[in-house]
Amino acid sequence: MLEKMKEIIAGQLNVDESEVNVNTSFKDDLGADSLDLFELVMALEEEYNVEIPAEDLNVLTTVSEVMEYLKNKGVEE
Amino acid sequence: MKTRITELLNIEYPVIQGGMAWVAEHSLAAAVSAAGGFGLIGAANAPAEWVREEIRKVKALTDKPFGVNIMLLSPHAEAIAKVVVEEGVAAVTTGAGNPEKYMQMWKDAGIKVIPVVASVALAKRMEKYGADAVIAEGCESGGHIGQQTTMALVPQVVDAVSIPVIAAGGIADGRGFAAAMMLGAEAVQMGTRFIVAKESIVHQNYKDRVMLAKDIDTEVTGRSTGHPVRALRNKMTREYLRLEKEGASFEELEYLTLGSLRKAVMEGNVSEGTLMAGQSAGMVKKEQTCSEIILEIVDEAERLLKLK
Repeated sequence: MLEKMKEIIAGQLNVDESEVNVNTSFKDDLGADSLDLFELVMALEEEYNVEIPAEDLNVLTTVSEVMEYLKNKGVEE
Repeated sequence: MKTRITELLNIEYPVIQGGMAWVAEHSLAAAVSAAGGFGLIGAANAPAEWVREEIRKVKALTDKPFGVNIMLLSPHAEAIAKVVVEEGVAAVTTGAGNPEKYMQMWKDAGIKVIPVVASVALAKRMEKYGADAVIAEGCESGGHIGQQTTMALVPQVVDAVSIPVIAAGGIADGRGFAAAMMLGAEAVQMGTRFIVAKESIVHQNYKDRVMLAKDIDTEVTGRSTGHPVRALRNKMTREYLRLEKEGASFEELEYLTLGSLRKAVMEGNVSEGTLMAGQSAGMVKKEQTCSEIILEIVDEAERLLKLK
């Protein structure tokens, strides 16, 4: 899952994949603002076919949190 | 002029009055709606009971449809979201966030939902969650602003969604209105021009500053806090920018602006108050009734668009 996530994050936030690892914080490390996070969440919804309500956004601050969140939603690979 | 927005809101002219904090109270909203546009009460940070009273006052003044703008960062947002359902308004516009958790409740009550969006992704998401239209607001606007200009944002949002789009930011006359239609918008929202409306309760000192403003007289403060605000340049904005440059804390900056909009609107304190206004202030030159403003703009736009 990490490789795919890196690709999506890099694409959405205009950063290099090498800047992304499990501990990366979208806001603190990659300078993402609330509009960037919406772009990212919508890309994730499309890729993994899940619904991510807006109120969950504030608990999705790092790559590992997103991976954990997606696993809880039944995403496996 | 008929568009999907005039149909949706059951109004005569596709002109919406911005939900400006302190400024957009019942007198202005009722006057705009009575003139055939769509008036809004700006809930901003006001308590829910104030909003309820304002809704009732508009209803006492006009039978025409009107709405409420809910600022989602307000501590009262949740309570206001319920008040609009209890009192019944035609539409809700939302700012400063994502209203998806209230959307179903409003739709079930027959209230049209029109979020203000500052990006294509947010517009698409709002459409997916059932928004009836979106307001694409460029950074020419007064008050809290996004990053993109109206000219660039509106056509991109129009391309991305199939619901109707309302253009806002920098529009204050028939030329701006016609241009917005050419970009694919089906209505415009204007704030600054309505600040100086005869029915607007804004202090005369504030109105005078808007009418005297030149093209370059607005300033954006608060970029460092992530909540940029456009207002007319004065002692207040200069002090804010100085503190911001010195790296003042968010709390210090907040303290400076506490109550400053009320000071400007109600007390006419044009040096220490925040005179929120858009870049279009430079072309807003006269105090007119809401009806005169709307008819003049629509007439000019129709001539430019060769609709008559």
